[in-house]
Amino acid sequence: MAETAENIQVLICTGTGGFASGAQSVINAFEAEFAKQGVEAQVGKRCDIKKTGCRGLCANDVLVDVIIPGQESVTYDFVTAELVPQIVEEHMLKNEPVVKKKAGPYYTQFLEKQQRIIFSRCGTIDAESLDDFIAHRGFTGIKKAVTMKPEEVIEEVKKSGLRGRGGGGFPTGVKWSFCKATPGDHKYLICNADEGDPGAFMDRSVLEGDPYGVIEGMMIASYAIGCKFGYVYCRAEYPLAIKRLQKAIDTCYEKGYLGKNCMGLGFNFDMRIKAGAGAFVCGEETALMASIEGERGMSRPRPPFPAVRGLWGKPTNINNVETFANVSYIFYNGADWFSSIGTEGTKGTKIFALTGKVKHTGLVEVPAGTTMKEVIYDVCGGILNNRKFKAVQAGGPSGGCLPAEALDAEVDYDSLIKAGAMMGSGGLVVMDETTCMVDIARFFLNFTRVESCGKCIPCRIGLKIMLEILERITHGNGREGDIELLESMAYDIKKSSLCGLGQTAPNPVLSTIRYFRHEYEAHIKEKACPSHSCKPLLHFKVIEEKCKKCGICPKVCPVDCIAWEKGQVAVIDRDKCTECTSCYDACRFMAIE
Amino acid sequence: MVNLTIDGKQVTVSKTATIYEAAKEVGISIPVLCYAKKLMPYGACRFCLVQVEQMKGRLIPACTTPVSEGMVVTTISDEIKKVRKTVMEFLLVNHVLDCPVCDKGGECDLQDLAYELESTSNRFEGEKFDLPTDEVNPLIERNMNRCVLCGRCARVCDEVVGYGSYSFINRGFETKIATAYDRGLSCEFCGQCVSMCPVGAILPRPFKFKARPWQLKEVDSVCGYCGNGCTLTLGVLNNKVETIRFNDKIGVNDGNLCVRGRFGYSYVNHDERLTKPLLRKDGELVEAEWDEALQVVADGLANAQKGQGAGILSGARLTNEELFVLKQFAKTLGTQNLDHSGGECYKGVTEGLKETIGISASTGTFPQIEKANVILAIRSDFYETHPVVGMVVNQAIRRNEAKLLVLADKRGKLSKLPGAKTLLTKPGLELDILNAMARVLLDEGLAQTEGVDGIADLQAALANFSPAQVAERTGVSAEQLQAAARQLAGAKNSAILMAYGLPYQGLNKELATAAANLALLAGIPGREGSGLYLCGEKANSQGAIDLGILPQGNGMGAQAMFTAAAAGQLDALYVVGEDPLSSYPDRDRIAKALDKVPFLVVQDLFLSPTAQQADVVLPATSFAEKDGTFTNAERRIQRVRRGISSPGQARADGAILTALAGKLGSSLAFTGPAAIFAEIGKAVPAYATCSFNEIGPQGVVWGGESLQPASRKVVAVAGGSEVEGDFRLVTGSALYHSGTVSTKAKGPMAVLAEPYVELSREDAKALKVADGDLLKVAGNGVELKLKAKVGNRLPKGVLFAPYHFAEAQVNRLYKGEAVIAVKVSK
Repeated sequence: MAETAENIQVLICTGTGGFASGAQSVINAFEAEFAKQGVEAQVGKRCDIKKTGCRGLCANDVLVDVIIPGQESVTYDFVTAELVPQIVEEHMLKNEPVVKKKAGPYYTQFLEKQQRIIFSRCGTIDAESLDDFIAHRGFTGIKKAVTMKPEEVIEEVKKSGLRGRGGGGFPTGVKWSFCKATPGDHKYLICNADEGDPGAFMDRSVLEGDPYGVIEGMMIASYAIGCKFGYVYCRAEYPLAIKRLQKAIDTCYEKGYLGKNCMGLGFNFDMRIKAGAGAFVCGEETALMASIEGERGMSRPRPPFPAVRGLWGKPTNINNVETFANVSYIFYNGADWFSSIGTEGTKGTKIFALTGKVKHTGLVEVPAGTTMKEVIYDVCGGILNNRKFKAVQAGGPSGGCLPAEALDAEVDYDSLIKAGAMMGSGGLVVMDETTCMVDIARFFLNFTRVESCGKCIPCRIGLKIMLEILERITHGNGREGDIELLESMAYDIKKSSLCGLGQTAPNPVLSTIRYFRHEYEAHIKEKACPSHSCKPLLHFKVIEEKCKKCGICPKVCPVDCIAWEKGQVAVIDRDKCTECTSCYDACRFMAIE
Repeated sequence: MVNLTIDGKQVTVSKTATIYEAAKEVGISIPVLCYAKKLMPYGACRFCLVQVEQMKGRLIPACTTPVSEGMVVTTISDEIKKVRKTVMEFLLVNHVLDCPVCDKGGECDLQDLAYELESTSNRFEGEKFDLPTDEVNPLIERNMNRCVLCGRCARVCDEVVGYGSYSFINRGFETKIATAYDRGLSCEFCGQCVSMCPVGAILPRPFKFKARPWQLKEVDSVCGYCGNGCTLTLGVLNNKVETIRFNDKIGVNDGNLCVRGRFGYSYVNHDERLTKPLLRKDGELVEAEWDEALQVVADGLANAQKGQGAGILSGARLTNEELFVLKQFAKTLGTQNLDHSGGECYKGVTEGLKETIGISASTGTFPQIEKANVILAIRSDFYETHPVVGMVVNQAIRRNEAKLLVLADKRGKLSKLPGAKTLLTKPGLELDILNAMARVLLDEGLAQTEGVDGIADLQAALANFSPAQVAERTGVSAEQLQAAARQLAGAKNSAILMAYGLPYQGLNKELATAAANLALLAGIPGREGSGLYLCGEKANSQGAIDLGILPQGNGMGAQAMFTAAAAGQLDALYVVGEDPLSSYPDRDRIAKALDKVPFLVVQDLFLSPTAQQADVVLPATSFAEKDGTFTNAERRIQRVRRGISSPGQARADGAILTALAGKLGSSLAFTGPAAIFAEIGKAVPAYATCSFNEIGPQGVVWGGESLQPASRKVVAVAGGSEVEGDFRLVTGSALYHSGTVSTKAKGPMAVLAEPYVELSREDAKALKVADGDLLKVAGNGVELKLKAKVGNRLPKGVLFAPYHFAEAQVNRLYKGEAVIAVKVSK
């Protein structure tokens, strides 16, 4: 740290989000500009470009921090290569920050209510640099852990109150103690990085931004439980995460942090990455183990639980990426510190991935107990286009939709379950008034139906039938009694499915029926979609009161069936209309029903 | 033991039991679809869900959940009923429900379950499946429209058979059971999947539209092919065996069968079965009446006895009772020239084992193999000769993590099993490896030498069998054979397996002796859970040995009889249930003998090549047509039951023999199997432990589960000698056939219809030979043309030709040696 304190630092977000927004060209532009201008010579300081992990505000990528020693760091957002010469020239050479391009007050607001612990290194350190990691307390956790007996390490985790961040919320320390208690010399540790929920990317960001942190968490667990071999089961759709983690693992082996007698601390731990083949169900621990073994990803009955008979028939402990990341911090700061954060039942912070109709999509880390409202409105700036909030889907396809009334729910394991959703891995999909809740249930069910492994009957066939009923409702063919039928079968599917996928897949249906029953009824009885979202239910009629007479719809109509004159309400000729929905999509005023 | 309560009933069961098994103990049946006793818990169908008071809030699958102390289980409640019914509704939405034309109708688990759950209506609707059916192969028809995806086929193929033909493909509702690349089935065709399928998705094609299950008469018998002694339940309609029924309730095979057992039954119904005696008149074989034929035979044999004598040669597929009568008949006739299997291929048992462990049988039982920690299979063909024991080996590996060592000159099915270590030796040198392993045990102090005689002599004889020396000769590395020896000695339970039979005559006595030496040094014979298994190729090979169907006194054995006949020194030969011309080593010599012998009688099912040379041919009966007992290769005496009557005037061997004896003026009578079995007991003490009617569903194992050796003596055997030449041919069994009889059965012939010679890819490339090309194989002064089969099993320079096919005349090349030097050209 000391040697770089005098340098100018340019932190560039190089998470997947950053790269997608052009981070590489920004980096190239900075490098080119530095060389061209001879910046280092001019300012008499070295200029370091740090490729950091994600900072959370992915919607505004590429985010760039310029830190000039002795000054406050300045954050620019929406940075492009074209903008770089200006930043270099004005900010770095003339010390006049480009005010117009600075991230607005929303960025401060975005960070204000967050407590970025797991993310403290993401966006700050060079994700690929072991030195940077060590400079930020890296590997001090494991060093502290080995001063304790393995049993004490587990006690410490128990005391911290850490619960599994994969969604189930099982107390981590207790889970470790089960695996520890199973006799046997040969035990496995698995890090579940098969983050499959649509709209969830917390684990990816952690792996991309702080891979060593996850390795350290796994080392602590391996020491405590006595596992000699660890797998990180990472979905292959995360190439950058895999690349960075692999580089981190390689570096650790090179430097003796992994392998025989790790860091000279007297225990052995080997690890490798197993890339998944794209099945959602492999996030389920028994299916995940089957996949590592080279079998088809299919769930297996429990018991025997993995702690007793897991991977290759040996005792196995599985935790999620975020859980392992938390472990490192528990050992940096102590269990008491950790348990001081959060609520009675949920300690520490939780990372959420916000997507959908919210202003600032991205990743936020808040202490457990923050309300949903705070997350959506205070941190993420509220609903896009200032539309009305309708619901938030918490917990991905396994979770549930919470309506506005439930927005005061605190984000912890128990409150969310009470409200009819679940913490899940932390995906939050925000929906506004234009979203049809029947359609959203259909969307999630379509996902789980396709991702079912096909092993047990209720999940394989039940979800498909459920989807067909939802489809017929959204097509205007719903029947009297369909809601009751859905509820009845949802209950049976939940009760009878083999693994978590089937046991939770009906949740979006049940929670939308619970909070938005009237929408279902409108579809079935009135053959109408209150959100005008289900296209088969559109009447292709212009609502006179809503029409702003803008004339956009006739322009997009491919069959020229919309009559419009300046200052007049548009009229759709239903005889010629092909119901292609181009006009509906184009109308900004929701004036076509 | 664990105590629990199920529906108010107290149950005490072993702690490894599942709730389902515990419930079964007290007569409570929980509905299941994907569960199968012999497979690992799977939990796919969800019909077995029950409530457990200690696990409130969820329903618990009874078939996968182990019991625990104090558990309170409710197996039926409104909630359970509702869930089960919903699951059934789901299943029936897309199922084709073509029960009226489905062969499974009447014994379909899905039908039964729907009936039990009173599933009269369905709240859901959907399109019926319309998937193509697999009708490519002639034996197993797959109609995936009826599939319930219980996975039993895929599981049995993997867990039991070790083949892995099936897997689930696709995801979600589109999931289905398929083969690699979703092609037609191409496998061993053991039909285990057929037996496991709870619905009509996988059916035996030969049985299609043959009978409704309830029309079939079920007769529990024993398979007539190999020495495994699998229970075969014949499905009989109108005096015809229409199918083989699945039966895992009795016998030693747990319902497992191979292609021969399951699909090889059709020879009993074959059109070419002999139905009337044939007499040679004016050079032609013409039909005759029994009385006339028997008189000719009686006179012919009696005349021969007055001259240079007659010889009797039996097959090993007669029942014990028939063999006993045969032996009595030989006495009546007054000949000591008696034998049961050509080439003395059983000498490993009668001489090798006898000299070492003092008994002539395997020491353990097959179920013990599943519990073995280390298994040494000598000659990979063990899976080919005894497939169902091979399946037990696979289960030992998969369930109990047994280590498999295969000592062979080629890689067979066993070599492919998980973790199998193959000690691939040059052909004919297995002996050297066994010797070297024995030496390792002695050198490293791992051998159990206490109470074992001959140690010093053996030690001296093994001077040239150091691992390094043997490695040099055989091509198996010293480390590998040392590791194998240590593993064998260090295991809690170990099993040594070796098959014997007509094509394995060469060095068989030496191999058995070396195996017995090794077994003794590793403390295997007589140890509970361990065993030395020498398994006969035919259904009653062990019975023939037990009953002493061997040369009597100074009489001649099979080989000697043929030599004598060829030299004009034997006046009559009576061949019962054998086709020496097709299956015995050295065909040319056999042909000469048959040509020279003045009077030849053949008693068989078919007009075999040997029978075609006969003066009299007597039509006999198959295993399906007679009552009696077989003794399998683990000494298990089991009941063979008559399922059908014989075609035409064919008669059981026992009946023919007693009638002949009558013609010779003897009072020998076939008094029925029970009475004769009692007679056997008087002559063979091991058979005196029970009466015929006391032989239960599991048979009776004479000598007990772990037969104690009568002696413990190691006997030095010389090593094999390497056969020179570019190519070395070995013969043996092909998986799909057993002896020559299976070539008359549609099932095995559908899978493997032609003889072939197998060679490595490397050799094929060098010879520019492709699969199916004709190859000239020359050796022992004979040249044969055989179709080439190119594969991965064989090392370079080694060829394999199965011996089953009479027309291939492989036994012209093979004269009883372990390895034959041959030249190969295109």
